[in-house]
Order: sequence, then structure tokens, then C-alpha cells
Amino acid sequence: MFSKIFKFEIKSWFQAPITYIYSVIMFIFAFLMMASAGGLFDNFTVTTTSPTYENSALAINGMINVLSVFLYFLLPSIVGASINKDFKYDMHQVLYSYPISKASYLFGKFLSAMSIVIGIILLICLGVYIGTIFPGTNPDLFTDFDIWNYVQPLLIFVIPNILLYGAVVFAVVTFSRNIFIGFISVLILITIQSFAQSLTADIDNKTLSALIDPLGAQALGLETEYWTVFERNNNPLPFEGYIIYNRLLWAAISILIFSFVFFKFKFNQQAIQFKLFKSKAERVIKRNFGSLIRIQLPHAEKAYHFKHWLKMAWKHSNFEARYIFKNWVFISFAIVTLIITLSTLAVRTPIYGTSTYPVTRELMQNASGVVSGFIIIITFLLVGMLVNRAKSSNMNQLVDVTPFPNWSFLLAKFIAIFKMQASFYILALVLAVGVQVYNEYYKLELDLYLFQFFAIDYLRVLAWTVMAFLFHSLIKNHIVGFISLLAFLILLGFFPQFGIEQSIFRFNSGGGATYSDMVGYGPGLKVFYVYRLYWFSLAAVLYILAIIFYRRGVSYSAKQRIELAQEKMNPLYKSIIAVCLVMFVGLGSWIYYNDNVINERLSGNERELLQVQYEKQYSHLKMLNSPRITSININLDLFPDIRDFKAKGEFILKNKTEQPIDSILVNLNDYYVQSYALDKEGKAILKDTVYDFEIFKFDKSLLPGEEVTFTFYMRNKPNTILNNNSPVRTNGTFINNRIFPSFGYSEGYEISNNKTREKYDLELKERMKSPYDSTALGNTYLTDDADWIDFETTVSTSKNQIAIAPGYLQEEWEDGERRYFHYKMDKKILNFYAFNSAEYEVYEDQWNDVNLQVFYHKPHDYNIDRMISGAKKALDYYSENFSPYQFKQLRILEFPLTSGSFAQSFANTVPYSEAIGFIAKVDDEDDDSVDYPFSVTAHEVAHQWWAHQVIGADVRGATLLSESMSEYSSLKVLEREYGAQQMRVFLKDALDRYLRGRRFESQKELPLMLNENQQYIHYNKGSLVLYAMSDYLGEEKMNRILESYIDKVAFQEPPYTTSVEFVNLLKQNTPDSLQYLVKDMFETITLYDNRITEATSDTLDNGTYEVKLKAYAQKYRSSEKGEKIFSNAEGESIGFETEKDTLESLPLRDYIEIGVFGETDETIDGVKKENVLYLKKHLISEINNEFTIIVDEKPIEVGIDPYNKLIDTDSGDNRMKVE
Amino acid sequence: MNQLRLLNVSKTYKNGVKALDDVSIEINSGMFGLLGPNGAGKSTLMRTIATLQQPDSGEIYLDDIDILNQKMELRKVLGYLPQSFGVYPKLSAEKLLHYFAELKGLSNKAERKQIVDYALEVTNLYDVKNKHVAGYSGGMKQRFGIAQLLLNNPKLIIVDEPTAGLDPAERHRFLNVLREIGTNHIVILSTHIVDDVKELCTDMAILNGGKLLCHKKPIDAVLDLKDKIWGLTIDRESVERYESEYNIISTNYNQDNSLNIRVYGETSPGDEFMKVEPDLSDVYFVHLKGDEVEATNPQS
Repeated sequence: MFSKIFKFEIKSWFQAPITYIYSVIMFIFAFLMMASAGGLFDNFTVTTTSPTYENSALAINGMINVLSVFLYFLLPSIVGASINKDFKYDMHQVLYSYPISKASYLFGKFLSAMSIVIGIILLICLGVYIGTIFPGTNPDLFTDFDIWNYVQPLLIFVIPNILLYGAVVFAVVTFSRNIFIGFISVLILITIQSFAQSLTADIDNKTLSALIDPLGAQALGLETEYWTVFERNNNPLPFEGYIIYNRLLWAAISILIFSFVFFKFKFNQQAIQFKLFKSKAERVIKRNFGSLIRIQLPHAEKAYHFKHWLKMAWKHSNFEARYIFKNWVFISFAIVTLIITLSTLAVRTPIYGTSTYPVTRELMQNASGVVSGFIIIITFLLVGMLVNRAKSSNMNQLVDVTPFPNWSFLLAKFIAIFKMQASFYILALVLAVGVQVYNEYYKLELDLYLFQFFAIDYLRVLAWTVMAFLFHSLIKNHIVGFISLLAFLILLGFFPQFGIEQSIFRFNSGGGATYSDMVGYGPGLKVFYVYRLYWFSLAAVLYILAIIFYRRGVSYSAKQRIELAQEKMNPLYKSIIAVCLVMFVGLGSWIYYNDNVINERLSGNERELLQVQYEKQYSHLKMLNSPRITSININLDLFPDIRDFKAKGEFILKNKTEQPIDSILVNLNDYYVQSYALDKEGKAILKDTVYDFEIFKFDKSLLPGEEVTFTFYMRNKPNTILNNNSPVRTNGTFINNRIFPSFGYSEGYEISNNKTREKYDLELKERMKSPYDSTALGNTYLTDDADWIDFETTVSTSKNQIAIAPGYLQEEWEDGERRYFHYKMDKKILNFYAFNSAEYEVYEDQWNDVNLQVFYHKPHDYNIDRMISGAKKALDYYSENFSPYQFKQLRILEFPLTSGSFAQSFANTVPYSEAIGFIAKVDDEDDDSVDYPFSVTAHEVAHQWWAHQVIGADVRGATLLSESMSEYSSLKVLEREYGAQQMRVFLKDALDRYLRGRRFESQKELPLMLNENQQYIHYNKGSLVLYAMSDYLGEEKMNRILESYIDKVAFQEPPYTTSVEFVNLLKQNTPDSLQYLVKDMFETITLYDNRITEATSDTLDNGTYEVKLKAYAQKYRSSEKGEKIFSNAEGESIGFETEKDTLESLPLRDYIEIGVFGETDETIDGVKKENVLYLKKHLISEINNEFTIIVDEKPIEVGIDPYNKLIDTDSGDNRMKVE
Repeated sequence: MNQLRLLNVSKTYKNGVKALDDVSIEINSGMFGLLGPNGAGKSTLMRTIATLQQPDSGEIYLDDIDILNQKMELRKVLGYLPQSFGVYPKLSAEKLLHYFAELKGLSNKAERKQIVDYALEVTNLYDVKNKHVAGYSGGMKQRFGIAQLLLNNPKLIIVDEPTAGLDPAERHRFLNVLREIGTNHIVILSTHIVDDVKELCTDMAILNGGKLLCHKKPIDAVLDLKDKIWGLTIDRESVERYESEYNIISTNYNQDNSLNIRVYGETSPGDEFMKVEPDLSDVYFVHLKGDEVEATNPQS
């Protein structure tokens, strides 16, 4: 019987068009995804390069699983429909009376549907495979075909997941007899999955997240989180640890669900019903007598005019809305949205364990992000349900013959959908305000929420809502309609990759407006509305089409529907369509003209070609010597109200070379209106308007030591609605010196990626030059046309703002509505400066004779004292340990997040984003919550030494001398202020970020001292390494080394110092026994794999305890791609045979900490303080080590490198409980 | 006095079935019965008149309304009850009727209530007006269908097999309601139950295979068969013999397992046959039989 049902079902699937539609869609998606990852569309877009292969097991698994998410939404209409069709067509009444066994019925249905789904998955694999071999893709991005790379993902993840989702959907549809409830169950599973994903934001939750993620993606993420490029390219998927637990857990759940269905299922007429209230049973007798002789229908006025139908549309919108609000699809969506929104809002994004104040800006953005996604999906679903409401209740014939016009039907449904959408926004608003009130934050900006939700977010959803109406009007089957909408949405996402980059060609895209407390929405808002208007005019046309194609009546052929639609096309509709089309084309042309004709718009590919051309044409100009800037004087006028600026600058240029210079290359900027002059005879001999530079030839060469004055004038082109041509903001302007002219060939403009260079036949080059190349030490890594400069500036702004630039305020005056500030430096600084202007509040303080100031946006006054304290403590520590502070002032200035979320250190001036620090909510009670307003300030202050005193040459390893040193310095300040516990939080986070950073390396990982401005190396590894170094050498000694280094190189003229110089100094001051550390940590990429394997203890007679522990210590180097290397340069390595396998390691002569920890009741601020019984560095030279340690108190836990001072990919196994 | 005119209406479905084959007919005020076996095209015809379906060709007029091109105009004066229908779940009869009244353009709230109440009264649903219609029994639902049809006081009423599933009391009540409305308006009633037509129709037609076979007043149709129907009681064993020799139009069993057969013939088919009074069933079967013979011998 089973085989008969199975065969019958399979056969009917093969006859159903839906099978083919789904197969084709999924196949195309799979192909497009792989082909575009493989660079098929490189002719339209930027060249795709990647150090990892797109067809490694991990990559293929990722891709198929992403595609599967779409497949999950298809499941209700496959697995769900297989059982539901019997109910839908009332087949079950007949079928269930047949002698079919439950097993063959259910298994027949389930397995046949699953076979179809698995068939589609195989097609996905085929699509992916064809993508890898398709002509036009870049073979460099693929490794050799390995069938195992496809089979493994299928067996471990894809098929088990689809069986799980299938079982859930099958169960739910079998009981509810409603396909939509099937959709909801998919949604709930996806919610659990994204919940699991959100958990991983906190490192401590990763294992929990790995278990509860139904897809196993988090478990895979956990097992592969530190995989290097090499491992990602070559390893098969791991099937171990949490992946096994996760798979077993969810396999068990699938089986449980299916068994539940199996045992509960009965061949019943009625679906299972849950009744809350039992109604009283009563005998019902109908009136059978009493006949009717006359019928005199009372008179009733009828109105068929527009106003009446409009009124009815409103009235019926309530009727339809009630249907939505009582519908389980809506209710479950609302609950899911509620949970996810609430968890997002409650957690926000903690940095180093520290959350933020629930400012409206952040809550509204978070809520709007979550809610908007949900609204699109539920709109697609519910529009389908509403449009087909009468049909699915089989009431359509009654409704269709009424004189109610189509437009009124549609309008009622449209308004009902709006009410539904609005209810989500209101829900989000209530939750957000709830979170604020709960956190005792009472600056509730309700108007801001309403504006964001209804004047921005809703307008983004509107065009899609109309599109949903059109799709569902055209497509009879609302599941197919829904899937088509989803497919369309996804396909649109691919458009830029096909080279369709302009927003006017991508439905509903274009225009974005992010909010900053300081600037508001900014000029982007106008652009946003222009694009909305553009798409609304199209949406209006689509809406009319939806009206005329609205289905009424039965069985129309496509031809008849078009004829009918033509009939319904009345003059009013025609004129609306005409007007809207004119508007659409008009606005579109305007935008197109603006973006392509007035302003040159380049595709990613064209930009790349320009870079190539520049290098090919002009790279010989590299050899041209430039005079260098020695003095800068800028007059800058900012006009915040109209967002304009004017600047006049004077640079003194000096020939610092020993040869005469006959010409100078001036880089201009076509973005602004510019002119320049030199006070020495000569003329421009070359003007390149594509790359915007001129070569000015002196009549008489500039002799060595001779100076020339370069003056320039510039202003922005006028701002228009579509184009913001100026960096000036109404409030919170932040401009740096890059907008001004510069000199010499721009090497930075060359393509840096070697794979791309290869494609264009450019000579391969390193991202940065070698520190051993003595010819490369002439420039600092910040600028290539100056050394140390004199700096003076006069900035003017509107009367209500304060303008700030490096330097001491000489004079401040007002002139009419303008306010002027004259700043001047008394010492030379780097050619690296910025201008800020905003309506600031000012907080002032004093450290010794140094003025401290914080310029902040008035409502953001939460952490001023922490920043000031950070600055003071930092100045204390650095001036004690390194060298004196070179300035008499230090200023922190808040800037809008529109410019980013970072802090940056200019000479005595630290711009600091409103998104970090200013709104942090530090919990002093919680030791795991780092006071980052304090530590970030300390880091930026450290740059006054590590950048503004010591500045590295523009070669590899330069950032060791700035970023790593600043991280180290601020860590020490933090440690002194808050103790070792915050160190541990900080270092644990740094280790995690370093190890995760390695996997996203775009070219190659380098040792710390040779890093090429790689953040995960210079920040994260840098802080770990320098902190460990100071731990091994002693803080005092470490700081003496730094002090002497500063003493040697601070404020030096070229050639500039390099990491090599520092490391050599370090080596000189490091005892022989620890020299290996310098090699491991600075000169190579070295990692440990340390772990405790056994730990026991015995009570001795004298009341002390003898602890015995066994530990493995392994050390290896990593290649630049992340391959593990266990032998040193001499080819030596050591090994150890365990029962299972052979362990390898570099030869060891390493000092590693061994610790024993006891019971503790002592708590500090609610956190258990660790009771350290023993902690000492041991010399270790074997892989397998045994230690016997006597301690006084009962030992609880032991550890090797228990504080994770060394870099170890699995820091969790460094400790073990004592048995 | 209203008049519905169909001119050469044809409809062929995608699967090749000719549901309507050049149907032309004029229907005046009063009750019009459309008789026909299952699958004859009755529902297609009804739906076509009710603007739910587009014919391939032909024209339909109600007075001066060109139905195929002025659908909205017709819908204003149309009452339609389809063969089977459902309703929105979890809504009471009263609420749903208000909804329909609004859909039909009834603009005054008080009047709407009056007419809804009246319709509930007429259809004997007043007591259960607050119950969910989706939970009604078949008969109650059918009455609800009538109630919604009355709301706009329609000029043209189309009811598709309405009496199927009604108990005798309800059937009578239902037919009475129809008859009452039919005095001033056109009521088209499709059915395969001959008695429905016999009892109340002033005019009728038989539809078979998409073709109209007979359009007459029921009385006239019966009168046409006077002296042409012959009856005989036979035993079961001889059925085959009679069937091959005579033009049998109907057979039915008696309780003793003997059979009454009725034969159509201009003259007596044999001495054993007795002349019997024709009734409407005979009209129905005679026409179907004639159509069947013609369809199987197309050359004649």
C-alpha cells in the first residue's frame, strides 16, 4: 500500500507545474549565486577576488544552506500541501474510509514530498556545480572539483535540516489543516535560529547557541570560528563536538515530532480542535410551520457613487483588518516580532560587556531594522490571503456579483494592510518606550519614533505592498504568488552583481536616511523622498493594474483576463496611469541625468579600469621628487545652514632633496571648485582632468633648500536636492585635511589586490613596502608630502556653533552672524589635522597645567567625567613612564555617527563619535563590564605619544608603533584603575577578535612586526602580545624599553623609525631565556595548543594537598594562509605518541604559567574572586608534562596558561576541575 | 415587465467541452425553470448571465442592459445564488448580511438594518441570526443564500439548483418565496428536479449538452404530449426485450418488483399498452431521448 501511495504522490508531483516552477527558481538562484561568487559578472562590477575557494566544503555548505532558507518557505506548499490537499478538496472524507494503514498513508505522503524536496536540493547542487565551471568565471576562485564537498554538506546539514523543517511543517499542517500555519512554523524555526545567532554576540553564550540552533549553523560556526584561510580551503566539514550534539539533538526532535504526528493522527473527519470553553449542549428544533404568503421588501436607498464606495472601503477595511488581527498568521508573526524586537532592544550592542543608554536614536534604529524585515514578509503573505479571502471561503460567487467596484475592494484591503503594518510599528514603539522606561530613561522622543516608523520605514514598505497586490491579483494561487514575490525580492538583491547598479533600475531602492542625534536625518532625507516619489509614481500604475486585473468570476483564460482588464481601463485610470508614468519617467530621467550626465557615475568595473589606466599611464611620475610642506595656514569658512564651505590655504613648500626640482605634481579634486597659485614663475605643462592633477613646471628649478608658497582657493559646488556637494553638516561638521590639494603621484590609488593586478597585467606588488628597504623610510604612514609642519588656521562658522581645529586658540570674535576662531600651534605637528564645528556644550578641567576640554552634544552628558578621568589617568601614566606630554591642552569633540563610529587622535584634539563612549552605560558593579569611555579615551590619548611623538615610516609594521602601542598603553591605564579582572575581559575579547580576524584575511596574515595595517593584528594581537611581553619582562622593564625608544626616535625627521628598530631594542633588553618570545610574538605567527589532560589531588598527612596534573603543550607556526607548521627553520620538531594519534610541536624551551586554584567564598561586588593557590611560570620542553604541586588549601581547579596570556585557539581546555 | 434576452451564446471550455452551444432565448417576468441533467451546461449558463463568466460569443441583454459589457449595471439589479457556496468563518448571519447589503450599495444604515431583519424573517433565520453561518446546516445555509439575494430587491434572480438538500418544509417555503418575488421580476431557477418546475414555473426550457431543446410553458409542453404517452406494467425479466422494441422514456419499479414503463409514440405501440396522462417528467425525458438519438445519428 505504501508503495502505491508513494508512487501515486510522486507521479502527481511530476504533473504539478509548481514542482517545475520551484525547481527552475532554485536552480537559477543556485547557479547565479555561485557564478557571481566566481566572478562571472566581473565585466560589469569590481573584480571578485578572494583568498578562499568558493567551492570548498565550507563555502558550498554555506551557499546551499543560504538557498535552503528560501526552500524552507516552499516546504508548506510541498510537504504541507501533500497532506493538505486531501482536506482541501474534501478527498479525506472518501479516502479516510478506505482500508489504508496509517503508516503507509503518512509515510507515503511525507516521504514522497520529501523526495521531491531532496530532488530540488540536488538541482541546487547541480546549479552550484555548473556555476563553478561556467565559462567566464575565474578559475582562480575554485579548487578542484571534489564530490565530497557536496555530499558532506548534504549529509550533515542540508538534508537533516530539511527533514526537520519538513517534519515540523508536516505535523503542523496535518493537525491544523491549514498551510499558513505551516508557514508560521517555518517562521518560528527561523526565529529560533536567528535568536541562537544573536546569542553569539556574547562569547559566553556560544555553546548554548551552538546547541539550540535548529540548523546547526552556529555549531559549525563555533567549530570553525578560528579556521584560517588554509583550513577553510582544504578541510572537509568537521563532524565533531557541538556539531554532533546539535545534530543528534535536532534529529531526536524531528523523530519526536514525526512520532507525535504518527501516534496522534486519526483518520478523522474533523481536524483536531482545541476548545477553551465548553458550550452547553442543547436540543435544537427549527420552526417547520408557518408559511409565507406575501413578501414586501422594505424600501432601501441604494447609492452607487464614488463617495459611498469610498466610505465603504474605509468601513470594510475594518472588516478586513479584524480578519487579519484574529488570524493566526498575524498573531504568530506579531509574537515572533515581539520576542525578537524585545531581545534586540534589551541587549542592544554591548562593547566589551558594556551596554549603552537606551537613547531613542539607537532603539528606533534597532527596532526599525527588525520590524521592517518582518513586515515585508507578512505583507506578502497577508495581501495574498486578503485578495483571495472570498475565494478561499468559497464565498467569491456571492461577493463577485455585487455592484461593489474593484477599486473599493482593493482599497479596503489596502487600508486593512496598512492597519496591520501600522500595528507592527506601534508594537515596536511600545516595546522601545517600554525598554526606555524600564531602564529609567525618560527622554522619550515619541515624535522621532513616529517619524522614523511612518515617514520613513512605512514609505519603504509601501511600494512593495502595492507590488504584492499586483502579484496576488495576477496570480491565482496565493502560495505561488507569495513565493514569486519572495523570489523577486531576492533576485533584486542580485542586480548590482549583474551590473545593474543604479537605484532607478532596481525596484523600490535608492535613498537612505540614517539619523544622528547631532545632525538629524541630514540631506539624505530629501534624496530619500525623491526616490520614494519616483517609486510611488510607478506603484500607482501598478495599483491601477492590480485593480483592473483583480479577479472576479470564474475560469477566465489569460486572453480573456487581458480583454476584461482592457474593458475596465476607464478614462480616469488611463489618465492616472498617464500622469504617473510621466512623473515616473520624468523623475527617473532627472535622477539619471543628474547621476550620469551632470555628475559622472562610474560602475565598479569602470572605476577599476580608471585605476589601472592611472597606473599604466603615470606610474613613471613616482620618480618625480616633490617639495615638502613645511607650514600650513588655512582660512576655512563653514556655512552650516546652507552646508557650504569656502577655504583659502597657504602651504610653504620646501625642496628638502639635494637636487633641484623642476616641476611639481599638484593633485586637485574635481569635486570642489579649486584654483591655485605658486609664488614662483612657471606654468602648468600637463592638466589631466580625468585624474585631476596638474604638473606645474618652474621656469627656474627649485633649488635644494629653497622654499615656495603654494596658495589655493576652494569651495564646494552648490548643494542640490539630489547632490550633497559639501562635507559640511548643519550640525557636527567633521572635515579632515584630505580635501585639500596634495602633491606627487598617488601610489595609494593603485590597485592593491594582487589577483586583480594580475588580471590587468600589472606588476605584482606588496600592500606595503618592507621595513628593511631603506629607500622606503622617507614618509610617515600618515602622509607622503610632509614631515613636521607649522600649523595655523582661522575657522569661521555660524554664530551658534563652535569650530575647532588643532592648535591653541589665539583669538575668538564675532562678526554679524559669524563666529571666528583663530588657532595656532606652537610646536610642529604632523600633516594630519581636522576641523569640527557644532553646537557644543563645553566641559572644562585641568591636569597639571594642561587644559582639558570636552565638547559635546548637550543631551550626551553621561560619560564626560569618565572621559576626563581616562584622560587624566592616561596623562599621568604616560608622562610618568614614557615622556612628557608635548601640548598644553587636550580636547575631546563629539562628532555625528554619520561620519562613523570611531575615535581618532589629531594633535591635542580627539574627535570621538556620538555612537561610542558618549552614550555608554558603564556598570561599575559589574567586573565584566569594561569602562570603555575611559579606555578608549586612554587609547586616543596614548596616540599623542604613539603617532604624534613616535611615528613609523610608511612600511610594514608601522601600526605596531601606533595602534599596538596605544592599545598596550591604555590597557596599563585600565589595569591600574580597575584591576586585573577587566584586563581578562579585555584580553579574552582581543584573543577572540584576533583569531576570528584571521579567517577574514583578504590576502595574507603577517607577523605583528610586519603587519600591513591589518586591524586584527595591530589592535587585537598587538594588545595581547605587548601585554604578555610586559608580563614576562615585568611592567617596569617594559616601560623603560619604551621610554628609551621614545627618547631615541620622537619627533625625528626622515628616515623614520620602523618596527624593526623597536624590536631590535626589545631584543637587546630581553634576557636570553626569553628571546624566543620576541621571535614567536613579533617576528613570526606562532600559536599554542595547550591543555590540561588530567588533574588529581591527595590530602597529605600534614594537612596540605598534593596536586598532580598532566598537561600537553604544543606550539606551531602558521603560514600566511594559516597552514600549521610544526618544525622550525632548521627542520626540527618534537613529537609525542598518545593513544589516539601523534602530537607534534616546535621544539620547546618555553615558560608557561601553571596555576592551582582553591575554593572561594570571597566575593567582590557580587563576583567571586579567584583564590589563587599557586601560579608560576614553568620551563617546559616536552609536549607531555606532569607536575606535582603542594598547596595549603583544597584545590578545585588547575590550569596551564590559565589566564590565556598566550595565543591559543582553544582557550577553554586550559583549565580543568580537580577530581 | 422585464425581459432577458440571450442571443447566440456559446462557450467552449479548455478541455473541449461545449458547455453552451448557440443558446438564444427570451425570458420574461415570472418564474423560469431551466431543466437539464447533470453537466448539461445549466451552471455555465447561469454564471454567464450572472456576470461571473465570459462566453466565447453571443450577447445577453436585460431590458436595455448589455450584460456582457455593462456588468456593474446588471449587478445592481441581480440576485444570485450559486449551486454551492461558502461564507467567511466566524461571522454571524446578521453581520454577513449587513456586509452583503453594503456590498450591494445600500447606503442608509437604518434601512439596511430593516431589510436585513426582514430577509432574516422571510428565510426563517431570525432566531439564529447571531450564530456563525459557517456552522449552519445545509438547509440553513441555503436559506442564508436566499436572504443575501433579496437584499437589493433584485429585478433578475438566478438560483442554481437551490432545492437540493432542503427538507420538504424548507423546500416549500423556499419555493414560495421565489414565487412571490417572481410575480414582478425574472426568476431563473435551474434544477434537475422536474417537480420544482411543475409546481411553480410559468415558463421553462430544457438544456442538454449545451443546447436548448424546448422552450415552452410547462402546461403547453405537457399538453403537447397528450395521447402520445403509453404505459405498461411488465415483469423484470422482459425489460431487455421491451427496451429493444419500444421507445421507452422511463421505467420505475413497483413494490412487487414489477416495472411500469412509459413509451412515447404518436400511435399506440401495441395492444397491451394503455394510454396514460402525460406529465412534465415525460416532457423532460422525451426531449432528452430525442436529443440523444439525434446526437448518436448525426447524419439524420
